[in-house]
Amino acid sequence: MEQNKEMTASESLQLITETFNKNRKDILRGSAKYFLLWGALLTAVSLVIYLLWHNTGKPQWNFLWFAMPAIGYPLAALMGKYKTVQPQNEVSKMLSYVWSVFGAFAVTLSAIAITLVPMHVTLIIVIIMGLAECMSGVLLKNWAIIIAGFLLGIGGAVFAMTVMGEAQLLFFTLGGLLLLVTGLIMKLQYK
Amino acid sequence: MFPKLDPLLHSELRLAVMSILAGVDEADFTYLKKQTGATSGNLSVQIDKLTNTGYITVEKGFKGKMPRTTCKITAAGQEAFSKYVEALKEYFK
Repeated sequence: MEQNKEMTASESLQLITETFNKNRKDILRGSAKYFLLWGALLTAVSLVIYLLWHNTGKPQWNFLWFAMPAIGYPLAALMGKYKTVQPQNEVSKMLSYVWSVFGAFAVTLSAIAITLVPMHVTLIIVIIMGLAECMSGVLLKNWAIIIAGFLLGIGGAVFAMTVMGEAQLLFFTLGGLLLLVTGLIMKLQYK
Repeated sequence: MFPKLDPLLHSELRLAVMSILAGVDEADFTYLKKQTGATSGNLSVQIDKLTNTGYITVEKGFKGKMPRTTCKITAAGQEAFSKYVEALKEYFK
């Protein structure tokens, strides 16, 4: 790119539009890696807990959920450490806020349910997870993600109230796969 | 009569830098270099010009042990950029 090139009004407008669009695409494609990371982690952790609970009959394996933030946050920090710092635009910031709020609710409610007030954690988490996924779809203007989030929340709530025991965990596996698909959609949408 | 375009923004590289910074909180030098495809020397000169006019601010720091230069658009820069885009639109009316 040359600094002194004479530009017409049309070329200037084109340059602004192209730079703006390319920048937006690159930022949102960069955000996709976090959906892939958390999606893979949720799928793996839920499957591991399901298998352990199923084979031993001990629901105490649910404590392994706390391994998810313990592994996920350092990994997320590491992913951004060695690359060019990706700037944030309004959409990527909002996505980050939505999922941070979800994470805070999920971890805090789980801790309260274990230590203070017993509650149906699966039901609550699956609903707010569906809501967070839906909001992500709204921010990304992607109907497939909106519908998938809606189905996850509503379907998960029905599933959580009708299926008992370790089988409930399989809905989180589905949620993890949904996050993976969301990451892949973002990679493709902002290619 | 067409409005006069801000000469500081009516330059390919400076306009590209401003277009990037207008849509983000801040961006570092490496990112701007990657997005514009400019050379480090050329980009530095244009960033200096934008800084001297008060359109952007530059902050030097470290990311780990690596030096990091972060650029951010100012309120004056946002206004100048908006005015530039509005002036451009007049050319197509």
